[in-house]
Amino acid sequence: MLEIKNLHVKLADEDKVILDGLDLVVPKGEVHAIMGPNGSGKSTLAYVLAGRAGYEVTDGDILWNGESLLEMAPDERAAAGVFLAFQYPMEIPGVAGLTFLRTATNAVRKKRGLEELTTPEFMKVVRGKAAALNIDFEMLKRPVNVGFSGGEKKRSEILQMAMLEPSLCVLDETDSGLDIDALKIVSDGVNALRSPDRSMLVITHYQRLLDYIVPDKVHVLARGRIQTTGDKDLAKELEKSGYAGFVDAA
Amino acid sequence: MPVAVIKTKSELALSEQFQAALPSLPGGPEVATHRRAAIAAFTEFGLPHRRIEDWKYTDLRTAPKDPALPSVDATAKLTVADLIVALGPFMNMDAARIVFVNGHFRAALSNVTGTDTITVTPLSASFDSLSPLSTDAITALNTAFVTDGAVIDIPDGVTLEQPLLVVSLSVGRDARLSTIRNRISVGAGASATIAELYLTLPGSTVDGQTNALTEVTISRGATLTHVKALSEGGRATHLSNWNVSLGAEANYRAFQLSSGVALARNQIGVTFTGEHAKIDVSGTFLGRGSDHIDTTLTVDHAVPHCESRELFAGVLDGHARGIFQGKIIVRPHAQKSDGKMMARALMLSPDAEFDSKPELEIYADDVVCGHGSTAAELDEDLMFYCQSRGIPAAEARALLVKSFIGEAIARVDNEAVRTALEACADAWLAQDQTNSAVT
Repeated sequence: MLEIKNLHVKLADEDKVILDGLDLVVPKGEVHAIMGPNGSGKSTLAYVLAGRAGYEVTDGDILWNGESLLEMAPDERAAAGVFLAFQYPMEIPGVAGLTFLRTATNAVRKKRGLEELTTPEFMKVVRGKAAALNIDFEMLKRPVNVGFSGGEKKRSEILQMAMLEPSLCVLDETDSGLDIDALKIVSDGVNALRSPDRSMLVITHYQRLLDYIVPDKVHVLARGRIQTTGDKDLAKELEKSGYAGFVDAA
Repeated sequence: MPVAVIKTKSELALSEQFQAALPSLPGGPEVATHRRAAIAAFTEFGLPHRRIEDWKYTDLRTAPKDPALPSVDATAKLTVADLIVALGPFMNMDAARIVFVNGHFRAALSNVTGTDTITVTPLSASFDSLSPLSTDAITALNTAFVTDGAVIDIPDGVTLEQPLLVVSLSVGRDARLSTIRNRISVGAGASATIAELYLTLPGSTVDGQTNALTEVTISRGATLTHVKALSEGGRATHLSNWNVSLGAEANYRAFQLSSGVALARNQIGVTFTGEHAKIDVSGTFLGRGSDHIDTTLTVDHAVPHCESRELFAGVLDGHARGIFQGKIIVRPHAQKSDGKMMARALMLSPDAEFDSKPELEIYADDVVCGHGSTAAELDEDLMFYCQSRGIPAAEARALLVKSFIGEAIARVDNEAVRTALEACADAWLAQDQTNSAVT
């Protein structure tokens, strides 16, 4: 279970407050969506969960299965089960996709007290998961994300997610830059990972993604905190009325 | 007005050592005459120092090392098993090899099976063919002290299937100066991959000194992939020259990896002599501690319609200093020349230094020429990306450094050679982790 309590976050080197007393609970096995206008702090929330530098938590806490994430390095959080699918996946020239996947998978397995995968074991698993995501295996021999289309990058993120077997998936604007076909493949990949043991936080600006990844709950984030919470129909209402009500409210 | 220049201790020592070594150096009376002329030229030049523009960043007069005694005999005992250990990642390659130990040919360690379509011989077998080069102090010293080297002749139209390794091993407890002269000639339409390896037998002194000069002639329509891997040990000195001339429609793909060397000066000069030829001259230099690695490159577009590409990527840690001097000359009638040169350094320490001096001398008006240079620290966003995938910081750092080097090594088209070069870079990186683990 993810519990975010009274979270206050500012930029580390500026006095700009981004999250201002955010409370949120995502129970085990549930998929929650966070929607909100641009600049409301959605991506900051994703980054703070994953432990990116450049932000300062001035108050509150983030508990994952009862344990605070705040003191953990990003790789320790990954081992604890946190996975962030990036809005803009990074390119790593000179490192083959398979090398990267194997390094990451075995680093996480090692920290979780599991045996590292041998090369044949790894290849078998990755072939299966890549095929399910409609990823051309040859593509994984190329450097990570270099020269990939927007859709290919997002599928590559979901493949990493599938390999690392996280228990908390944070998807940051996974729909951005995707056409309908790519959106469907990526959503199918995410849905295949839904399980009673896995929580998901789906961050999006648009309702469209939530037609494919149907959430248990929808939260509206604006002005640094959750303004309202509802079921999947709330997303449809927002699609009609927009975020104006939340932005303008005093 | 003539100025009396005070000779440094090293300069005097080199002249004295030459006099002592001359009777033992190979070659007939004509070669001895060339050698005497070369040492006279060296005395005239003196050791290069920073007031000579080309040597601004690498001052050999103030280099802390005394010159090592020239290696004049081949007494070091060595077995093929020793050689295999020294070859490291290059041992797994399906490749022919010609081997020199402390500057002397070793037939028993060489294996030129599969090269019957070409000629591979030691220079010592035909010493009188030595060309008396004395264009600067370093080439003059090479002519004065040279003991051996590979003479490789690839006839017209012949394709050498497997790579040929020219191995120069430094062996023994005492530091020696090894002086090597290679000559590679690639006939019209021929094609080959040749890798020069400068290595030290594990357990031997890491204070070796090398002066290596390779003359390369590539004829019309021929292709040469020419690689150098330098890993001679922590305190080695390495001075080298590649003088390359290529004919019409020829293709030259060169790559130099420099690591595990205290002081290196890699000079590369390429001249286009025929139209529609192409070169890619790239490399990577890996320095830590107080390593000093200098790459000085001149590309001479002497004729029209040629294309040159250069990418040098360096990793500098500790107090290491990397130097890249790249000059592209486009002669007045060399229209439609196309040149692009790039130098990049990854700075792993605030005390490391990268000096990059690109120079374009363009005398023609219809050309495309560009250069770029960057020096940067590891990208924090990439570090976060790796760490968010569970990769611990130290491992992420190593992976990203590897990625940076890998991008340059990717220019090597022969897969076996590329894999071996990657392994060399990995070994260099692993030394860092060993050191960190100790401290």
